[in-house]
Formats: sequence, structure tokens, C-alpha cells
Amino acid sequence: MLIPLLLAWTPTPVPQAIPDLPDLYALKASVLETGTGEVIEHAVLLVEGGKVITVGEDLVVERGIPIYELEPNQVVMPGLVNAYTRVGVTGSGPSGVQPWMHASDELYPAAGEYAKAREAGVTTLGHYPSGNGIPGRSVVVRPKGASADAMTLKDDAYLKIIMSSSKSAKGSLSGGFKNADSWLEKEAKNKEKWDKAKEKFDEEDDEEKKKKLDPGPYKPIKEDPKAASFMELRDGSLTALISVRTAGDYLHLIDAIGEEKFSWDLRVVMTRDMNIYHVIEKVADSGRRVVLEPEISLHPGTMRQRNLPAEFARAGTPLVLVPRNDSVSGFEAWRRHVGEIVASGLERSVAIRAITMEPAALLGVGDRVGSLEAGKDANILILSGDPLEPGTQVDAVILEGALVSGEVNL
Amino acid sequence: MHIQTNKKTGSLRAAALFLPLAMGLVAPTVAQEDEDPADEWFVLQGGDVYTGTGAVLRGASVLSKNGKIAEIGYDLYIPEEAEILDVAGYRVYPGLVAIESRGLFGGSSDLANSVDPFSKNMVLALSAGVTTARSGSEVAKLRAGHIDGLVLTSGVLPGLSYSKSNPSGKRTLRQKFEAAVRYLEAYAQWEIDKKSDKDLKEPSDKGVDSSILRYVRGEARPVFSASTRTDLLEIARLAQRFGFRPIINGCQEGWIVADELGRAGASAIITARDRSTKSEQLVRTGGSSIENAAILHRAGVSVTIIPGSAGISLGGIVGRDLMHLTVEAGFAVRGGLSEKAALDGITIEPARLLGVEARVGSIEVGKDADMIVTDGDILHYQTFVQWAVVSGEVVYDKEAELFFAHIRPRPEGSLSPEERVDAGETADEEIEEDSDDSDPPEESGEEAGDEGDGDSRP
Repeated sequence: MLIPLLLAWTPTPVPQAIPDLPDLYALKASVLETGTGEVIEHAVLLVEGGKVITVGEDLVVERGIPIYELEPNQVVMPGLVNAYTRVGVTGSGPSGVQPWMHASDELYPAAGEYAKAREAGVTTLGHYPSGNGIPGRSVVVRPKGASADAMTLKDDAYLKIIMSSSKSAKGSLSGGFKNADSWLEKEAKNKEKWDKAKEKFDEEDDEEKKKKLDPGPYKPIKEDPKAASFMELRDGSLTALISVRTAGDYLHLIDAIGEEKFSWDLRVVMTRDMNIYHVIEKVADSGRRVVLEPEISLHPGTMRQRNLPAEFARAGTPLVLVPRNDSVSGFEAWRRHVGEIVASGLERSVAIRAITMEPAALLGVGDRVGSLEAGKDANILILSGDPLEPGTQVDAVILEGALVSGEVNL
Repeated sequence: MHIQTNKKTGSLRAAALFLPLAMGLVAPTVAQEDEDPADEWFVLQGGDVYTGTGAVLRGASVLSKNGKIAEIGYDLYIPEEAEILDVAGYRVYPGLVAIESRGLFGGSSDLANSVDPFSKNMVLALSAGVTTARSGSEVAKLRAGHIDGLVLTSGVLPGLSYSKSNPSGKRTLRQKFEAAVRYLEAYAQWEIDKKSDKDLKEPSDKGVDSSILRYVRGEARPVFSASTRTDLLEIARLAQRFGFRPIINGCQEGWIVADELGRAGASAIITARDRSTKSEQLVRTGGSSIENAAILHRAGVSVTIIPGSAGISLGGIVGRDLMHLTVEAGFAVRGGLSEKAALDGITIEPARLLGVEARVGSIEVGKDADMIVTDGDILHYQTFVQWAVVSGEVVYDKEAELFFAHIRPRPEGSLSPEERVDAGETADEEIEEDSDDSDPPEESGEEAGDEGDGDSRP
């Protein structure tokens, strides 16, 4: 009885024809958040070919360029970057150490969530691979395009590693590097053997004998995808995002890393009795970014509230904030939730950076998205007011210069 | 006893006094020649130091270097960079050793790789003064906040069973001991005989239980869980026959056969409050006794004390879990055990049974700087551990943790310099107010006269 009723009440979406923006245009806004933490008043933003050409205060726009003058209440900011999401991808990854797996293999361009993500103002998504242990590499996509290739902004973004206080988790990290070492050793031996054979071959003058000694072209030993991934971490072509739950996990992580040098950031899983605050100073000293939800947690065993994101930021840790719920509705509430922790102590400019520039940098696409600066992609949100105030709507979303949601009037 | 006064410091002081006169003639030399800037110094200053070796040094200081006790005494030379904790008016005891524990370390086995150094239970155990505990077969220090330098040893307290409820098991064990002894005798004979006959074959240890061999050789001590008079006597006889020293866990009726256990060189792990009633069918003495620890100790049995539950329990009736290790020892005192023996029973005796007595269990030069600072007699139920120090570092501060900070807060002057969990301005004010009308911690009877508390501090 209920279900048909509900169905009848569900408004059918009317496909709106979104008018195309011209190739070259200017936006005039009373307030513009650049994403770097800077706020420009009476801002003018010039877009051409999907890129930001220039942005500044009261710039003079050449005659002939169409100018979209926004309402006085409207605020412009860069498209949001969600560095840690699985909305839009499905599938369950296997457990274990599989650093060669790609979240990009799970992409499903037709997923309806992408349109919703766009409407919520999320213009860049970092999909992490599912699974436990070391489940694989993330992929950075924009929520548009008909094929996986067209959507992909960057593959092999970060290698996801799950760390816990256990011998197996620690071993899969330290063992991964050891494995790479032994592969290199084997390879070196193989090369040495071939070199010797080659030497013998070169020294031999007798043509008949020489034929027998010919070692042929050099054949390296069989590639080991696991070892290769850890070598990529070492040489810097791959970064890692390491997930921990407790302060103890973090210490065990540092212990497992040992002397190994590679680029990594930290994901902190928000749990009820968070005790990560014990290592906030240590994390800050390490200079790693921290990915966590904009959430107020309770001091263990008490009802005392702690604003851990603010505590991390105050200690000097670059912050990446991700939606509390990894769902379309979570995306919609994202800015409001960030606003809540700003209201209870997080610095505002840090909060804006934490949903734009920092996640872009974490994903390794900081040169393309995350801020409104000359040369970057024109991923622009037009909001009905302050981005962090509750009730502020997304009036329009521009993705690489083109309007993908809402409307802009001349 | 390793108590030294720093004579060098004395002479330095003298030099400093005459410095204006002797300028240019006496250049002050570096007081401690082997000073390294990377060294970590820590001082517990001016407390009454109960060393656990029998000596009490009133108003003395303990200097630790890189986690080890470097000096104990008065007028110590203190390096400039040393971290100083002023504990005047407080007592300093060796950190307590729990012969058994559950759930303190967060992890399961393989503590080095699974410990949660921020676990709540670890903090609670530290609040009870425990700084070393056995967990499974590992012995580890409660180094809150660290995952290194934790495990002291492993493979401790190997168990054996020798009970009348399993007669065939008894026979098997006896035979194993017999085999081990036969082998050792044959080996000793071979060592003599081979001098005259070089080709003589070494006796084979095939079929000899290697762990039993270790017990007979005195390299390890087995633990028996036994409580009835009969079993205890049997174990004592077995031990005397084969020449090993048993550790007896439980030992409820030990007081009845204390002399026999003493002669067998036994050690007992007891819970002073254990209760068991005598079997009504038996005429002879039986059942538990509050005097158990005292009687055993008098008979020469070394006594280690452990509460009824070795975990941290926050439900039910308070007082029976590991947080009340000192209370359990206090009950042994109620039964007649001397206070010294009771303190030993929760410090050096368990350390010996665990084979870590060279590292922990008393305050001596060269041992780990694992100490607790209390506001009164450690065996008194009202006493709080104010600070716990492990490896020369404060790992517990009553005022900094949530659990007991609100009960009799320390006067402000004695707050640790360390930042507290939520060192907001309001929190400071609150403590100031509280300290104005807070009563000094009650002392236990005879000590009240000479024991100060925070109020008498400058």
C-alpha cells in the first residue's frame, strides 16, 4: 500500500537543458574563495578553454568578453575535492597485500552518483580501492565523461595501506620493502651472471666456440608486481595513504617504516573512543597530511568534546577533510559539517583548504584542481552564500569551464 | 645497597665558593667527564626513598640516566639538562611487579608488535603502581606512550601439574624426573671416566625431557598450581627428592605445611584474601587462612602476592582486581606478614620468579628507573600513586589522567611541569580553589608524624 503511494509522490526528474557557457567568459563575484585560504572581494575570474586565465580584484575585462555578474550574496569557490571516497564505484576488493591493484578497474562511468556528486559541488573524486591490508592504488576522476578513460584525471594516485597494531600488518609493510630488496638482489645476480657470460663471449676469438657461448640479449628476471610497487614508493613515483585507528597504531606504523624513506600521508579513522590525540605532536612533526572526517569526538571515557581536526591543524598538520558519510547525502552535508567544526575552533581558511587545495595535493593533482588560480582547471562553484554556513545552496557548478549543474545568468 | 654520595659535587661546590678568590687558578672542570648531550637525565628530588632493599632514605634524590638509575642519595650532581620532578613530602617506591596480568597491554601475544601503549588499562594499572607485568609468557614494562623497550623477557613460568586428581600424570612426571636425574648422573660419571678412556661414548639424552632437565639443573623453576595440603606435600617431596625449587601458585593450605614447603625451597604466589573452607569429613586442619602469607614467609617460603583477578575490572565490587595489588598485600599484613615482606611480595619477589630481578623490583643503582611516587604508605588503602616513572620517564601523573585527578587533587605547587590533558585556564583555577580547602592525605598511623604531604611543601 505504502510503496505505490511513495512512488506516486516521488517527483520525476525533468531533464534540464543546461545552456552551454562560451569558451571565453568572465565571472564577477562579490566574494571569491581561491581555495588557498585567500578571499578576494569584488573578484573577477576569467575563464578560457576550461582553464582559469586570471583571477583578481576589480580586474578590467576586455570589451567583447561576456561577463556573468553574480548576485551580491553569491560566493565563488573552487570545486570540492573528495580525496577519499567510494561513491560511484562498486565491488569488493580482496584482502592481503595487492599493491598492484587499481581502483580504476572498478570505475563505472554510468553510475548515477556522479551526477549527484556534481550537484553537491564535488568536482574531483579520489577513489580508493576496497579491501584490507594493502588493497591497491587509488584513481582520481572528475564526475563526467562516458568512459573510464575520459573520467580519469590521474591513475595510481596513492597506494592505500591499512596499518594496525599487529605483526601481520606491520610485516606487510616492512616485508614489502624487504621483498623489493631481495628482488633487486636476485636481479643483480642475474645481471652479473649474464655480464660474465657476455665477457667470456667477447673474449673468445674462435668463431665456432663463440657461437656456443653467445648469451643472447639480456633477459631480466620475472617481474614481481609486489616488489615493483614498493620500488615505486621508494623512488617517489607512488605515494601512500596509510590508515590508522589509534595512537598505538601510529607508533607501530613508525616502527614498521623504520629507516625506509617514502612519501606518505595519514588517514585517521574516526572511532568512538579516539585516542589519536596522544600522537598529534608527533604527526605534526612528521609533516604528513591527515585525512579525517569533520567530526567532534569524545574524549575516551568522558562526555568531553574534542575537536581533533582543529587540534591537528593547530599543531601544524595539513588537514584533508572528507565527508562524514561516504554517500551522496554525505556530500551534500559536507560543507555544513566542516562549518560545524569551524564554529568550534578550526580556523576557517584551514577548513576551506582542507576540502579543496589539500586533498588535491594529496591526490597529486594540485597543479590542476583544488584552487582558483591562473592555469588551473575552471572547476567553479557558485554558492548562495558563505560556503560553510548551514543553508547555503549550490546555485551552479562549472566543471572545466562548462556548466554542469544549476544556472548562471548574463 | 648502592647508595653513593657524589663527593665530586662537594668539591665542586667548594670550588664555586672560592671562585672569586681563586679565579684563574682553579678552573671549574666539567663535573662528570662522560657527559653526553644526548643523555637523558631525570631526577626524583627530595622524596623519602623506600629502596626495597630495606633502606629508607628520607628526603633523598634518585638520578636516572637514559632510563637507568645512576645515583641515589643526597646532594647529587644534577646535570643542567636533567628533568627534575620535585617529590619532597612524597614517598618513592620501586615500581610494582605483577606476576600475572590480563589485558593491560591491549595486544595479545607478541607484545612488541601488538601493544597498545595508550590503552586505558595500562594507565589504570600504572595508577595502581604496577610498572612491570607478566602477560602470558612475556614480561613487559608498562611504558605508556612507547612501543619500544617494552618486553623484558619471555617464556617465563613454565607450568607443571602434579596433583592427586591425576595419579597417572603424577607417575609420568616422576618418571621424567627420574630419567633426567639418571641422565645427569650418567653424564657426571662419563666426565670422570673419559679422562681414563677417551673413546667412551657420551651418554645419550634421548628420551629425557629437556625442560625437566633444566629444572633439575636449577636453570629454571616450574610452577605448580596447587592449593590442598596433600598436593603441596607431594610437590614438596618431589622437589626435595629431585633437587629443584618449585613455585606454587594458589597455595591456600600452605600455612598447614609451611615447614615442608620451606625446606623444599618453594616460592608461593598467593592471594591473601583467598577463601576455601575445610572439608568437613577431614579431622585434620584444612582450609584457607588470612595468616597464610605470614606463616609461609616465617617458614622461609618466599611470598609473591597477586589479587584474585589479574585483570583491570571496572564492574562489580571494587577491590579484587589488579588495581588493588597493594590492597591485597595489605591484607597479607593484616594476617601478620611484615610490611617489608609485603612490599617485597609485590616488587622484588615476583621480579625474581620472572627472572627480571636484575632490571626491576627495587631502587638500586644500575637497575631500570622504574619507580612510583605515592602520597603515603604504599600498603595503605587511602594512598594514591601520584606519579609513575618507567625507564626514567613520567608515564603516569595522577593530575593528568582523568581517573583520580578529582580525588584529593595535589596542591598547585606540586603540579608536574608537564602539560595536562586539558590544561585550560579554568582547569587551573579549579584546582587552585580545591587545594585551598583540601585536606592533607591521611597517613597510616605511625608514619603520620614524619610524613609530610603537599601542604607542607614550599
